[in-house]
Amino acid sequence: MRRTALLLLVAASGALAACDDGDPEAGAEAGGPVVLTYWTSQNPQERAWADVLVAEWNAEHPDIQVETQPIPAGQSSEEVLLAAVVAGTTPDLCSNIWPGVLNDFIRAGGVVALDEMPGFDSLMAARTPPELADRFVSADGHTYQLPWKTNPILMIYNVDLFREAGATRPPRTYSEYLALADRITGDTDGDGQTDRWMSARDIRPIWWQRYFDVYPLYLAASGGQTLFDADGDLAIDEAALRDVYGFFQTLYRRGDFPLSTLQGNAFAQGRIASEFTGPWTAAWLLENEPDLRFDFAPVPVPDAFTGTPVTYGDYKNIAVFSSSRHPEAAWAFASYLVSPEADRLLIETTRQIPIRAGLLDDPELTDFFAATPFMRRFAEQAPHTRGVDAVPSLTEALDAIAQSYERAIYGVETPAEAVASARDRIGVIQAWAH
Amino acid sequence: MPAELPTVDSAERLAYVEGLAASEPASGPETPGPAPRRSRIDWRGPLMAAPYLLHLAVFFGYPLAFAVVLVFHRWDLVTPMEWVGLGNLGRLFADDLFARAMLNTGLFLVIHIPLQIVVALFFAELLNKKLPGRTFFRAIYFLPVVVSGVVVTILFAQLFAFDSGYVNRVLVALGGGRVPWLVSPAWAMPAIALVATWKNVGLYVLLFLAGLQNIPASMYEAAEVEGAGRWQTWRLVTLPMLNPHLVTVVVLSTIGGFSLFIEPYVLTGGGPLNSTLSGLLYIYNQAFTFNHMGYAATLGLAFATLILVVVLIQRRVVEAEAT
Repeated sequence: MRRTALLLLVAASGALAACDDGDPEAGAEAGGPVVLTYWTSQNPQERAWADVLVAEWNAEHPDIQVETQPIPAGQSSEEVLLAAVVAGTTPDLCSNIWPGVLNDFIRAGGVVALDEMPGFDSLMAARTPPELADRFVSADGHTYQLPWKTNPILMIYNVDLFREAGATRPPRTYSEYLALADRITGDTDGDGQTDRWMSARDIRPIWWQRYFDVYPLYLAASGGQTLFDADGDLAIDEAALRDVYGFFQTLYRRGDFPLSTLQGNAFAQGRIASEFTGPWTAAWLLENEPDLRFDFAPVPVPDAFTGTPVTYGDYKNIAVFSSSRHPEAAWAFASYLVSPEADRLLIETTRQIPIRAGLLDDPELTDFFAATPFMRRFAEQAPHTRGVDAVPSLTEALDAIAQSYERAIYGVETPAEAVASARDRIGVIQAWAH
Repeated sequence: MPAELPTVDSAERLAYVEGLAASEPASGPETPGPAPRRSRIDWRGPLMAAPYLLHLAVFFGYPLAFAVVLVFHRWDLVTPMEWVGLGNLGRLFADDLFARAMLNTGLFLVIHIPLQIVVALFFAELLNKKLPGRTFFRAIYFLPVVVSGVVVTILFAQLFAFDSGYVNRVLVALGGGRVPWLVSPAWAMPAIALVATWKNVGLYVLLFLAGLQNIPASMYEAAEVEGAGRWQTWRLVTLPMLNPHLVTVVVLSTIGGFSLFIEPYVLTGGGPLNSTLSGLLYIYNQAFTFNHMGYAATLGLAFATLILVVVLIQRRVVEAEAT
């Protein structure tokens, strides 16, 4: 009886093993093609882009076959990737790497130094804008990410609502923005309740939300000064951060921004007239609200500011993971993903900006920019962007800023006090980290 | 013969039953065979318990032991653990935010537990009466318990939105003002307690309902004969008879209250101004947002100890009241 049960168990295991797809690497060892696993973001447009390129690659490279898979569902792709790095279940490569989390992957030995790969230098020199190239080099002098795309944070505005309020051009400074907000925010249906606002933001103290309000406006006000210096020491331009806190404090105090999160797409519904966002909003609006007239402009700056405002770039890059048994093949495929043709397809399919120099001068994109003039704003802004600092306590530092920002907009602290408390808290966090 | 049982005391009954058991054959027909080897250990019992013991060891014993090890280490998941001695404990006692999270959790319990009990008792009483569609209503009140917590919370985010929420629209239509449910430090925790109560009350209604149905009708008849009014009957008959259920509800809702997480995580992110930062949310942030595994383990063990102490005290107090 016991023997029969054991035999049944062995037979069942064999049947299960037969059902398994098997190790994708096994083919290469048996003389078959190399099979790479490539994780893309879950964004439908990016998946469509990847599907086209992978199909072309597989047709042209029978010896290196690529299988795509969207990043498994989770709180955020960064969390999923970190869990995969820890568990050793990473794919060969992924094109949705946020530089803020790359530092953890490097410390874990989870990613390959791409600057040691053949043709890296020439590819970087040919493609990456010189203003940005150094920003992707890690503290140890190696480059672990292939710069791929940027989504500069700009101000989208409803052209008709701005015109109705008497604006002949989008506001450039805080004063202009506040003056326009005064004309736009109000009660449109006469029930005594405000139902249209200048803009809206999620004020919950969630660290990454500050990448879409405080951080881009801070970068603009400070002329592109990030939060930490090259040595990882705190280097906040406190005057600029005070200006930003003061600006938002005024907007919330006057009611130009609602305190609670509005449900649905408030911009598409005309309940807010502007928003700080990236090009993904345009892609969504073109598909879902084709009649809405919108355009983009740089985020507002303090009145005394002159020059081109810098903004947050929200970069997403490509990394090859150390778990890959074919890093050279993965690198070859990564290089293919940033070819001029792939970059053109990226901007056309996803309306996101590849990190490529001379994008506006590409004759093959002339028609595209003529048909979608707002994309020109993003392409123009792309060289004037900053990412995030590669410091271990970045998330916690952003959390400290989110907490102090909340105190400022609730009026519990003056902008100066809020900036000082953020600075002190980050000091404590850094002390704990050491 | 059941009618004779009251005349036999329990010791005699036990002796009688044991005598019966001793005189009965083990099983099957009386055939000669080898005598049972009494010295041999019967492994069937431990074998039956083994899956659960294994589960306990893997999912409770190991994580607990690992958490204790983590208390003395710094670990960010990606790099090797680093010994920090009592550093995490030192940080715990100097951490204002953790103290704030504990206070918030206490405030939540103070609002949530009485509210839960009162609302659950009210509906249990209502559903215990012979009303048309009683079975339907019993199912309806239990529905939120089985609905995903995240779904319920997102629904309440829409209901409680300050500028455009449905609750405030109704209040304004009725001539009132808008209530800053989730955006005011004073209102946010009570609003979250309301959501948590709405979500969980069905379970406690069920417990109280079971208790109410177990109260013998003769007790109510006796109270009626004695001339007790409705309030007196409820206070002197119903409530004391519900005491065991009350203990269960208090303990369960205390433990449930301490694990407050989904509501502040989805609705407020711990704000405004940390007014809804619960203990569990703070531990989660330390562990999975900031990757401070050692410190999160320290907070977790401190928190678990606190829950244990509170529940033990609570049980003693409530049980003493009951007896």
